[in-house]
Parts: sequence; C-alpha cells; structure tokens
Amino acid sequence: MKRLAKLQPLLGWATLLLLVAGGWLIANAPMDFQQGNSVRIIYLHVPSAKMSLLMYLAATACSVMYLWKKNESMDILAEAAVPVGALFTAVTLASGSIWGKPMWGTWWAWDARLTSMLVLLILYVGLMALRSAIDNPVKSAQATAVMVLIGAVDLPIIHFSVQWWRTLHQPASLGGGGTPRIEGALLTPLLVMAVAFIGLGGYLWALRTRTVAAQRQLDALEHAEEDHDDAHP
Amino acid sequence: MILHAAYRIAWKDVVGDFRRRSTLSSMLFFAIAALVVFQAAFEPDRKEAVKLLPGLIWVTVLFTSLVGLGRVFQAEEEDGAFEGLLLAPIPREAVFLGKWWGNLSLTALVELMLLPVMLVLFNVDAWAVLPAMFGVLLLGTLGFTALGVLLAALTQGARGRETLLALLLLPLAVPLLIAGVQATAALLGTGGEIAPWVRLILIFDVVYLSLAPWAFGWLVEE
Repeated sequence: MKRLAKLQPLLGWATLLLLVAGGWLIANAPMDFQQGNSVRIIYLHVPSAKMSLLMYLAATACSVMYLWKKNESMDILAEAAVPVGALFTAVTLASGSIWGKPMWGTWWAWDARLTSMLVLLILYVGLMALRSAIDNPVKSAQATAVMVLIGAVDLPIIHFSVQWWRTLHQPASLGGGGTPRIEGALLTPLLVMAVAFIGLGGYLWALRTRTVAAQRQLDALEHAEEDHDDAHP
Repeated sequence: MILHAAYRIAWKDVVGDFRRRSTLSSMLFFAIAALVVFQAAFEPDRKEAVKLLPGLIWVTVLFTSLVGLGRVFQAEEEDGAFEGLLLAPIPREAVFLGKWWGNLSLTALVELMLLPVMLVLFNVDAWAVLPAMFGVLLLGTLGFTALGVLLAALTQGARGRETLLALLLLPLAVPLLIAGVQATAALLGTGGEIAPWVRLILIFDVVYLSLAPWAFGWLVEE
C-alpha cells in the first residue's frame, strides 16, 4: 500500500501529460474524408474499449491469485478493478453510441461487439452488487472471485456467439490482425491516447485500491470498537 | 463412489421436492402464467406463432429455471444443514454433482411437460419435431443448470438473493439463448442450419460442466 501511495501521483501526472499531448495531437490530426470530424471520437472510444477489457483481465488475474494464495491484498485489488472497468465500459458504450448516430444513422445496433460490451457492463454491475450483498467478508471475497472467473470464461463465448449471430461493426481499428488499417497521421494520436488511457486506468485502479483498503481498515476498527464496548459496558 | 453419493443427494432433493416443497409445480405454473402473459402481449396468429415459438420456449425456460434455482439450497439453509452436507466424507465435487442432478431432473421434467402445452396453446403443428426440440432444450439445460446451481451456491447468504441470481445468470446465458433459439428455429423450419448452433450449445455445456464442480469447491472452502 505504501508503494502504491507513491506510485499513484506519478501515474496521475504522467497520465495528465499524455492526455494533454494526445489532445494536442487529436486537435491537429486530419479529418477522415468520409467520417469528417466525428472520427475524432475514436480517440476516446478505442482506448477505453481496450481498457474495459484490460481491467477485466486485471480483475481475473487478481481473483485467481486470491483463490490460490488467499492473500487479502489480491482481493482488494480485484474489488478495486471492477468499478474502474465498469467506468471504461460505460464510456465505450456512450462514445460508440454518439459516433454511431451520424455514422450508422442509429444510436444502437445489436451488433456483435456492442452486445458483448453491454453484457460486460451488466457483468461489472453484477459483480459490484454481489460484493455488497454478502456481509461475511471472506464469503463475499470468495464468491466475487469465482464470479469473476465465470465471467472471464463466458466473455469469449458471448463474443463469438454474438459474432456468429450478427455483425455490422467495422473491423477492429487496432490489432485486428495484420497491419493496422488506419493512416499514420491518425494512428499516432490513437497510440498516445491508448498509452494515456492505460495510465489513467492504472491511476484510477490505484486510487480505488487505496480507498477500498482504507475502508476495510475502518470497518475492522469499528468492529473492534463494538466488540470492546460489548465486553466492557 | 462419487457418483453414488451424488445420486443419493439428487434423490433426496427430488423426492423431498415431490413430498413437501413442490418446486416442480411452482415452476410449471409459473411457466404457464408466463405463456398467458406472452399470448396477451403478442397475440400471435398461426404464422407468427411459429416464428415466435423458439424465442418463447427459451425465454420461458430461462425464467422458469430461476424459480427452481432460487430454491436449490433452500432445504440446506433452513436447518443449517449445508455444513452437514459439506462435512460428509465425500468430495465437494460429489455435493455439486448431486445438487446439479436434482435441479436438472426437476427442470427437465418441467420442460417435458411444458413443450406440448406450448404447442397446444400457441396452435403450432410441430409434433413431428417435438422429440428433437426437447433434445435441443435438454442439451442446453445441462450446461445452464450447472451454471445456475453454481451461481445459486455463490449467492448463498446474499441479500436480495433471487434478484442477484437473475442479474448474474441472465447475461451469462446469452450465448446459450442465441444458440438454443437458432437451433430450435432450424428444427421448426424458420431458421438456417442447425449444426453450428448445436455445436455452440455443446461448447457451452463442456465449458460449464468442466468448470462448475471445481469452482464450487473453491467457493465452499473455509
């Protein structure tokens, strides 16, 4: 936790610098000849889509470690990753929707990746609800960790099944196999934004982790106080 | 040994249900109530009914199974008997298998009764493919009930458990719902090919049947 407290402001400042740099690059990036200015929303959309999955991966890794080693700090990290991932997922859905209106002529289409993203958001919300619905801290940690794993197994199945079902979405902009299908002038700001969002995710995760850890300490203290009062009225 | 222990647990659950708890009839009448609601909401004519039927079947089964899943561990919770079950000198996987088989039997029975009722109520003449439809439904139910029983164990002792169970289970069941509806539509002649969708159901089954028993073990670990 001490190291995290030192790391967090560093991450924060680095992210801020990268976001400013990214913003400047985006402002100077050329317009897409078909999509016009609305193409600029992908600089927000694509990095946050990557982060929404990355945060789930992080939560999965921490949950596996928790189930394996029973180390509480892993559980704290897993708990903290969930709302951050939910935030990125919501940003992804909202920005995609805003982009979809001028491009596809509709706010929403039941295409493969949109559907998977929506399911991911429900999954994140479900994880938060599960965490808060069980009072016993150990039970709650175990249940949430197992649920994260179930989700991690189900997400690829959801993705592929919906992909078979229907697809309208344009192919992936980054890392969609082979060379990126995007011009260099547009690519540089996208990569800068991707790195900035990784920093942002790390910063928020660290912040949330410290909050959760502090909250748990507080709960433990309050419990101790109550027990003490019960013992010596 | 494991299988025998699991069988005893399943038998206890099913017989206990017939004698006292009557989850079976609750599920069946919940399903029929859902059918009435669907009829009132969609008022399908004969042609529309054939097109709607696959979706209606799977949605009804999905929601009906929530009724059953909410009660999977009820007997154990009421008398604190869950600890007793875990203390039994059998592997945790056997406990899971037993609970799963019990729920699977009840759900399959409900489906078996529900399908002909649906064909009658919605006026769909598909009696020839009824066994195949039941087969597809049962195939999906294998994995779905395994996942459901696991989530029922997971939400044990949670506040607002039934809502939570639905919130967690429904999104995870999306692939199964897609595959099941498409496969059933193919059987009724309103869909495309059946093979890829049956394969998808099989993938779902294999994944959850191999994951769930172990996950149950981690869950009840002290």
